[in-house]
This record gives sequence, structure tokens and C-alpha cells, in this order.
Amino acid sequence: MAAMSAADVILVLVVVTAISFDFTNGFHDTANAVATAIATGALKPRVAVMMSAVLNLVGAFISIKVAATIAKGIVDANVLSGTTGLSLVFAALIGAVAWNLITWYFTIPSSSSHALIGGIIGATIVASGTGAVKFRPLVETVLAPAIMSPVICAVVALLGTFCAYRLVRLLGDREAIRGYRAGQIGSAALVSLAHGTNDAQKTMGVISLALIANGDISSTHFAVPLWVKLACAVAIASGTAIGGWRIINTMGNRLTTVESPQGFSAESASASVILASSYFGYPLSTTHVVSGGVIGSGLGKRLASVHWGVAGQMATAWVFTIPAAGVMGAFAYGVSDIFGKGSVAGSLIIGLIAAGAAFTLFRLAQRNKISAADLDRSHVTPEDEARRGAAALARTPAGAAA
Amino acid sequence: MLATALINTAALWKIIVASLVGGVGVVVAFGFLLLGLSKANQAKGRPGAQAGYYLVSGVCGVFCVAAVAVGIYAMAKKPATPAPKPAAKTAAVRSSA
Repeated sequence: MAAMSAADVILVLVVVTAISFDFTNGFHDTANAVATAIATGALKPRVAVMMSAVLNLVGAFISIKVAATIAKGIVDANVLSGTTGLSLVFAALIGAVAWNLITWYFTIPSSSSHALIGGIIGATIVASGTGAVKFRPLVETVLAPAIMSPVICAVVALLGTFCAYRLVRLLGDREAIRGYRAGQIGSAALVSLAHGTNDAQKTMGVISLALIANGDISSTHFAVPLWVKLACAVAIASGTAIGGWRIINTMGNRLTTVESPQGFSAESASASVILASSYFGYPLSTTHVVSGGVIGSGLGKRLASVHWGVAGQMATAWVFTIPAAGVMGAFAYGVSDIFGKGSVAGSLIIGLIAAGAAFTLFRLAQRNKISAADLDRSHVTPEDEARRGAAALARTPAGAAA
Repeated sequence: MLATALINTAALWKIIVASLVGGVGVVVAFGFLLLGLSKANQAKGRPGAQAGYYLVSGVCGVFCVAAVAVGIYAMAKKPATPAPKPAAKTAAVRSSA
């Protein structure tokens, strides 16, 4: 058997890290699909994440076209080629995973896609200077959609929630809540499916990029190998299945108090914005859209019922995602570069440091753990929810916002 | 000015309209579906009214199912994202600016 070349070893590291990133993407973003359905008691937490995991798995296979090319057009294609390109992608993935885990630890929903883009930009700047980053496409395809998508989704969810509550008055609370809870299962399922399609394919793209850089697959007759599709689909589904309870709690409970008509509106608005954007070729972050949807649904019911402190924390994290993941990607690339351009030792050392840091964060997170049981609202009957809603309406806006 | 230079406004409008039809439309349709079923339940003994309510529910249900089907179609047929070629993108921006 032929010995593995340095490039092959780094390729293996890239594939393993990309799959780990996909896994973190799964549990980081489970909240996007199921947080409101769990918060209203439409689904038990474990049932919700299992449903979402299966649909993420299916979603990863839905699109026959190759999404694939994250960050292509944002950095100079030449920097991503050869063994140096492989070390760069590796450092970028380390930066993205690190930021995903840090935001998960601090219970903040942030964009995994932006973390990956940030990681690539940071590593590219260290490798080839700022000249290799194309800032205009970065603004056009990443930053502008990141600002607009949550706003559009918030407006759609606000209007949807407003209309839903007009109908709730005609229906009666109990019946409406029961009906919208059922509807939430469908809307959460659609968001899960869309998430699988969008996000699993981003990782497939990263692995394919690495395979092209290593000359394993042709860039002219490009097709994602089946094992890559399978690995990414299983990784994102497994990540989803373990349940990112910390972020689900923020999205479903801390941002605003979600009732089932609001949850249904938020999820429907999110699914519409995500699907319309990806159909019309506007890449965006599922996290940004869903957060916008949840805020919009809070505003649609009662203007003061959004916890702006939490929303502010999230927005701050979003602003810092690309720079922070960039700094970590740059650091990872810089350290591995000390051992020589595209060296195996450098990549291995960075890999070990990252694995150690990830383990430490997981241990720290155990101290203030949030579990599925903490989030279970399935025992709350429609009657209870109706009473809670009436009580909330009776409170002053200042009280609701506290 | 800056925004229109940096954003493909034609695609943006399509996204806004599709999101409103999907997001608000489905919520309203689903609400009327529930309302129709509830009223039909209350209208027992008045077959005409009951049929009318069921019809409203049915039409709204078809709208919701169709919206989901369109969503899944959009997922399967979506263009290769995200990388619009810089040259093509610049042209699109110029034409929309």
C-alpha cells in the first residue's frame, strides 16, 4: 500500500473537521427549526429534534444540483488550490467550529455559514494578504442578505401574527391554540427540510473543494461523491438529534414568549424567506431568518413583548461572527504556517489544540447544562396557554418586556 | 443609492413577494381552515351552511398543501448557490441599478 502523502493527511484532517463542523451546525441550528414548536408545547423536545434530524437527513439529499461552493467568489480561487489550499481550508474550518462552539456555550444563535466564511477570509488574509479577499462580492452575497433577511422575515412574521390573532378572536383561544399547534408541526418540518438542503450542502461543498484541491476529483466534471453526501447528511442529522438545548432555549423562550399562532407565523415566514431566497439565488443564514421571524412574531402580537436585551446580544454576536471566526481561522493558519507551508505537523498541532479547546468547552457547559426536560412544555394544555395569553395581555407592556 | 448598487433589487422584490404570499398567505389560509372547521361543527343541522364552511376549509387546506409543495419544489430546483460569478453578478447589479 502506498504511503500517504502530506497532502493526503491534511485532506483527511479537512474531511474530519468538515464533518465535525457539519455536526456543530446540526446542534447549533436545531433551534431554527424546532425552538418555537417546543416552546409552545406543540412537540415534546426529543420528538421535535428527532423529527428535525430525520428531515435534515432527507433535506441533504433533496437538491440534485450542487450548492457546494461556499466562499467561492469571495476569496481568490488560487489560494484554495494545492496543499497550501488544503491547510487554509482546514484552518478556516477550525475557526468556524471554534466560533460555533463558543456561541453555543454562551447560548447565542449565530450563523454557522458566516462562521465558515469568516474562517476562510481570516486564513486567506494571513496566507495571501487582503488582496486575495473580494470585498464587493462579500458585501453583495453575504453582508447585504444578512442585514435584509431578518428584517424581511420579521415583517412577514409580524403581518402573519397580526392576521393570525384577528382569526384567533373569531375562533376562540382554545380551538385556535390546538389548531395552530398542529400547524406548527408542519411548519417546523418544512424549516428542518430546508435547513438540511441548505446547510449540509455547504459542507459537501467544502469537502468537494478539498478533494478538487488534492486532485481526487475533477473540477471540470464536478460531482459530489456519494460518500461525501452520506457523511454530511448523517453528520448534520446526528448533530440535530443530540439537540442544541442551550440555543433552543434562547430562540424559543428568551427572545420572546411564543404562543402557538406566533410560532406558526414565525416558522411559516422563515420557511418562505429561506426557500424564496435560495430559489432566487440569494444565499442567507437560516439562523438570521428564523431569529427575525421570532422577533416579528413577538412584535405582531404585542409591540413590547420582545426581550430586546437578548435580541441585542444576538445581533452583536452576528456582527462579530465573521471577524471573530476570521481571527480564529487566521490564528489557526498562522500557527500551522510556523511549521512550514502546508505542513502536516502544523495542521496536526492546530487540530489537537482545537480538539482540546472543544473538550474543555463541553465540560464547562455541563456546569450550567440545559436539558430536554427543562424545555418540555408539552404538558401545557391549550386551556393553560389561553389563560397564560390572557394574563400576559393584561400585563403592562413594561412588565411583559422585563 | 449605495444599497441599490450593492443589492440585486429585482431578486429582492421577488423574494419579498414570494415570502409575503407564502408566509402571510399560509398563516391566513390555515386560520380560515381552522375557522371553517369550527363553524362547520357549530352548523350541524344546517347542511347548506355546513357544506359552505367545509368548502372554505377545503380551499384553504389546498392552498396550504400547495404552498408546501411549491416550497419543496423550490428546494429541489434551486439554482447552484451561493456563488454567482462575480462578472455575471456585476452585470446584474448594473442592469438593476
